[in-house]
Amino acid sequence: MKKNSKNNGFMAVEILIAVSIIAVSILAAMAVAQKAVSVSRQAFHATQAGFLLEEGAENTRIMRDDSWDSVTALNSSEQIDIFTRTIVASSVNRDNTSKDISSAGINDPGTKLITVTVSWPEGGMTISKTLQFYIMDIFL
Amino acid sequence: MILISKKNEKKNGYTVLELLFYISFFIVLSLVVISTMITMARAFQETAIQTELIQGGNIMERMSREIRAASDINSITASDLVLQTKDQNGANKTLEFLLSGSDVQLLENNVLTGNLNTPNIIVTALGFTQITTVRGKAIRILLTVKHKNNISGNTQNFYNTIVLRGSY
Repeated sequence: MKKNSKNNGFMAVEILIAVSIIAVSILAAMAVAQKAVSVSRQAFHATQAGFLLEEGAENTRIMRDDSWDSVTALNSSEQIDIFTRTIVASSVNRDNTSKDISSAGINDPGTKLITVTVSWPEGGMTISKTLQFYIMDIFL
Repeated sequence: MILISKKNEKKNGYTVLELLFYISFFIVLSLVVISTMITMARAFQETAIQTELIQGGNIMERMSREIRAASDINSITASDLVLQTKDQNGANKTLEFLLSGSDVQLLENNVLTGNLNTPNIIVTALGFTQITTVRGKAIRILLTVKHKNNISGNTQNFYNTIVLRGSY
């Protein structure tokens, strides 16, 4: 009898260990599945954001085609579904002798650096993608 | 005899309690396993749907590229766009993007070449808007897609605007 009860006690501990191992591995598998879903959702949003960035660049080009002054003053922010897009124009300096774009030198009013940023909330965080390019007033 | 029966009784009592404990343990464990399996099946389905929905981006990419290369807009309505463009030999060609039912059709020189979306993707909306500038033309595109297996019926939007480089 003593032997039996001892044996039973050992079995209970064994089962407890087995169950906890199974539970932990199941929880791990569940975490992986949830991560997979969030990653694929994030990839999808990144695709959408890519097009919004492209659109921001093209919109700037349209503004340039209409009037250079509206590009110079560009500083806009808009909300599209879950995405926030900001377009900012900043001034560009050129080296006085080589005429290359540089941080020093004198300001070139016919060239602007455009920064398009698309940001969106993703699982408690904010993810953002940025596109930078120079645009010139070619229709002087 | 008395000793044996007492022994038996004690042993039985212990087993019933034990059994109860084990059964409840087993029930809880199987509930956890079942719910996990359901969650994982859903996760797999959702991942598959998302992967196919990214195709909406491919449709958008194709339209953007063709619009960028086009020289003029022949006709434009909300869900039908006819572009004037050139083929690889330099000959004039028309390209048409048309929303027909839940498919986006591509027509070259008014001949249907096929759908841009796969059968699993339902295009719920396609919108073209013309923007005319001092120097040229541009088209704003809105594309809304959903997956045919998506129970919740969530739709996804793609936006883009493209300047016709040939229109300058």
